Amino acid sequence: MVLTDQASTGTAASPPPAARAIDLVKTYGKGDAVVRALDAINVEFERGRFTAVMGPSGSGKSTLMHCMAGLDTPTSGRTFVGSEEIGLLDDSGLTQMRRDRIGFVFQSFNLVPTLTAGENITLPADLAGAKVDQEWFHYLVEQLGISDRLSHRPTEMSGGQQQRAACARALINRPDLIFADEPTGNLDSNSSAEMLAFLRRSVTEFGQSIVMVTHDPRGAANADRVVFLADGRVEGELVSPTADSVLERMKRLGS
Amino acid sequence: MWKVTLKGLLAHKLRLALTGLAIVLGVTFISGTLVLTDTLHNTFDTLFGHIYQKVDFVVRAETAFTSNGQGGGAQRKSIPESVITSVRNTPGVAGAEGNITGVPAQYVAKDGKAITTGGAPNLGLSYDPNPQLSSLTLAEGSPPTTSTEVAMDEGTAQKYGFHPGDRVKILLPGVPETFTISGLVRFGTANNLAGATLAAFDLPTAQVLFDQVGHYNSINILAQPGADKANVQRAIARGLPPGVEVVTGQTVANENTNSINQALSFFSTALLVFAFISLFVGAFTIFNTFSITVGQRTRELALLRIVGASRRQLFRSVLLEAGLLGLVASLVGLGLGVLGALGLEALLKGFGITLPSGPLIFQTRTVIACLVVGIGVTVIAAISPARRAVRIPPVAAISDHQGQATELSTRRLLVGGVFAVAGIALLAVGLTKPAIQLVGLGAVGIFIGIGMLAPTFARPLASVLGRPLAGILGISGRLGRENSMRSPRRTAQTSSALMVGLALVATIAVFGASLSKSATSSVDNAISADYIITAAGNGGGQGGFSNSVAPVAARLPGVTAVSTVYAGQFEFQRSVSSLAAVSADHLAQTVILRMDSGTSAPALAAGELLVDTTVANSKHLSVGSAIPVKFAQTGSSTMRIGGIYKPNALIGSFLVGDSFFLSHFNNPLPIAVLLRTSSGPTITPTVTSGLSAYPNVKIQTRSQFEQSQQAQVNQLLGLVYALLALAVVISLIGIVNTLMLSVFERTHEIGLLRAVGMRRRQIRAMIRSESVIIAVFGALIGIVVGSVLGAALSASLKNQGITDIVIPVPNLVVFLVLAALLGLGAAAWPARRAAKLDVLAAIAAD
Repeated sequence: MVLTDQASTGTAASPPPAARAIDLVKTYGKGDAVVRALDAINVEFERGRFTAVMGPSGSGKSTLMHCMAGLDTPTSGRTFVGSEEIGLLDDSGLTQMRRDRIGFVFQSFNLVPTLTAGENITLPADLAGAKVDQEWFHYLVEQLGISDRLSHRPTEMSGGQQQRAACARALINRPDLIFADEPTGNLDSNSSAEMLAFLRRSVTEFGQSIVMVTHDPRGAANADRVVFLADGRVEGELVSPTADSVLERMKRLGS
Repeated sequence: MWKVTLKGLLAHKLRLALTGLAIVLGVTFISGTLVLTDTLHNTFDTLFGHIYQKVDFVVRAETAFTSNGQGGGAQRKSIPESVITSVRNTPGVAGAEGNITGVPAQYVAKDGKAITTGGAPNLGLSYDPNPQLSSLTLAEGSPPTTSTEVAMDEGTAQKYGFHPGDRVKILLPGVPETFTISGLVRFGTANNLAGATLAAFDLPTAQVLFDQVGHYNSINILAQPGADKANVQRAIARGLPPGVEVVTGQTVANENTNSINQALSFFSTALLVFAFISLFVGAFTIFNTFSITVGQRTRELALLRIVGASRRQLFRSVLLEAGLLGLVASLVGLGLGVLGALGLEALLKGFGITLPSGPLIFQTRTVIACLVVGIGVTVIAAISPARRAVRIPPVAAISDHQGQATELSTRRLLVGGVFAVAGIALLAVGLTKPAIQLVGLGAVGIFIGIGMLAPTFARPLASVLGRPLAGILGISGRLGRENSMRSPRRTAQTSSALMVGLALVATIAVFGASLSKSATSSVDNAISADYIITAAGNGGGQGGFSNSVAPVAARLPGVTAVSTVYAGQFEFQRSVSSLAAVSADHLAQTVILRMDSGTSAPALAAGELLVDTTVANSKHLSVGSAIPVKFAQTGSSTMRIGGIYKPNALIGSFLVGDSFFLSHFNNPLPIAVLLRTSSGPTITPTVTSGLSAYPNVKIQTRSQFEQSQQAQVNQLLGLVYALLALAVVISLIGIVNTLMLSVFERTHEIGLLRAVGMRRRQIRAMIRSESVIIAVFGALIGIVVGSVLGAALSASLKNQGITDIVIPVPNLVVFLVLAALLGLGAAAWPARRAAKLDVLAAIAAD
């Protein structure tokens, strides 16, 4: 309780973090079968930083991300994206926020199968009825190395190419924050490394805020900070992590 | 979003085609009906326009009321010949000719059989020698000038091989006579008057033959060129005796067109009802397909939500998809409607309804109606699936959360129950009123309600239905059964279209069986005669036959009583009703009238009106009531109710004596002659040979008459079944569609089964089992619902003569078996598709 107050008042003066959760609780099931997936979590993700969320299976890291991104409704507690409280938004407010302020990258590449890569990338802008920033679009596909794949359907692309298209889609509207849920989970090691390098570069070069859920210590090592979860609680964090330090910490959590 | 919708549609062409097919067929039906009826309208318009294009005015007797019955001309009195003198002397009149028109004259073909037309009249008329006033043109030979000559229409001559100079026998209101064909005539430029036959005699002959000596039916008048027609008409009117009027030729043409159009609109309404039934069933199919595809696209739709699609955008997208589908399908259906019109015509011809032919008419209204209805039905059917699409949470894109909402089922039960109960209430009100729209609306409500309730009992029922299959087919049958049980909602929705189709079939089956049974017992309860003589040809009673049949029959040895039956229309308390007439003399020997009050024969002999209890009760009449009536030819009068009888299916609700009838109708023809013999129905050869001069009559014993009544009912039923068949076909398309979608959905699973050693044959058996279960499920519910509806319908028509309610169980069992076979057929393609899946690719598929 004391911690909570500090978290809310302590950040009030400075510009708000990219996202934060206050006393976030999410339970599944009823009665005796109740599972506390998130058990009063308080966490902040800073602007312009690359934060990794780690934890063993069932630690609640995906649930945390879903709740903070407004994809899932928490049982109690509050979540913010910037200064916007998600719990206060109705469906169209949430839609607006997902469209303009949040980008998503998922483990399965989640492209619309009937659209080409190019159309998938511009989809959020098209949905918003906004004009696509062509310069930005070309820069992104150039950087991601998929400029020759734009007219291909997802089924005609490799996993790495699909994930890079998904990445470009997440960035096309220049969101305040990108949520990446195990983005390298389905990729081979080469593609993984490229993907992580790109995410790292987008934080460093154009100040993108990224939150990435992962269970890969080497992936987490690309982040500025790692937040560890276990049994629905925050179990500490690591700033400027290395693969070894993350692995070390994970071993302790697992035991 | 447009792009997403469009691309999504194009990516699933097969699904699109199958779903669209349901709408295509329904719209084809509508478009075909409209094209056909427009074509008929146009044919008749042209025809009557042609006939009266040269005639400026027509002088004829006034009529007390107009009815839409056939032979509107015969309802008018004739006018004395003397009228023509004053007409001809009227300034501005260039010419005037008296006519005898529209009297039946039926040719006998060279093989001795009466020539029948199906629906068009056998017209006898006078040949007008004045080419400026005549609607006929001579094509060959010379006009009829003596009492033994006739001019035949070219169409009949060609069809039956007659030439000028040939002798031909003609059946007339009096004794049949033989004439020499003097020439062949055309109606304007058409060699055929919408299928009607034509016999033109010279005027004096026509007057004799049709008992109009000294009279005309009408006078056609030509005005002098340049004369002010309104003035001429007024001048003619001033010289006419009371009860005679002068109208323009255009008026007569319009009247004829209108009366035909009224008959046609009944016909097109009937066809449109079936078209809408097909579309209604199609709507179920579309609803089902969209429900399934929305379910299958959960991930994709949730993904769109995640990248920023609003609910409104998704909703619009699904509706847009439906709208585009509806548009394409409607356009295809519209085009196919031309073929549909020809098909409908052929179908009706097959059931004995011949229609006149003319150029096909394709109106803008047809286009608009088809597009509106086709797109409308598709979009409305997609609303509920679209709402479901909108409710998919974005998180469904990343988790395996399928959102199988069980909590919905209570709401569903409630809404379904409300629909069903409201439907039953509407139906009950509609049947008792009776109001056919309410009946239709009620049936729709019941179908939707049952469609919504069906998922709740889909699982247990599918389990029971599948058990024998599981027993016979082993693992394939068991899996098929499991598949049909695992998604009760889908099973129920898929079968709901077939449910509607079979419910209608069962309704008709029960109704038809009851009607057929009632027809039999009603004959026994209505007539005590041994022989019933009616006009030969389709539809029995239409047209009538010679007045001389009854006197000839009366002279036959063994015949003890003869009664002639007439039918006409009169106005009873300001509404046009059918009136029957029999002779009072032999009433007891020929007709069974169970009197409720008053007397039968004495009342008829006294010129009083008899009504049945239905009319008496609804209008609060009793013996002695004085009722205002109106006859077309004799005007208003008052009649005393002389007796009230229990409903008699063959007599109808109003009965008078024949002498009264003859004094109020101008030369009516008998519709039936009833004979009583001294030895029962054993003198058929005597009667047949005695009446051999009249090949246009049908001589039947009472039991033969019963059978022919049943045959008529059955023929009508056959037509209705044929029209309902389309709805059943559409419901089968729905099953094919669902199975295809299921096969795609279960690609992975089927691959797995193949990988662990299931044979292709077994895969096929599995899909077929599922299909049969779905089909039987729908058929069973449909047959039960339909039987109840049919029984209710029959019960409500008790007063109309449906006294027995029969559930034709063997027929219904046949329908069920047929449904199972159709289910098997529907599975053919999906089963082959499933069996052909490549094992490796199927397992790799996600």
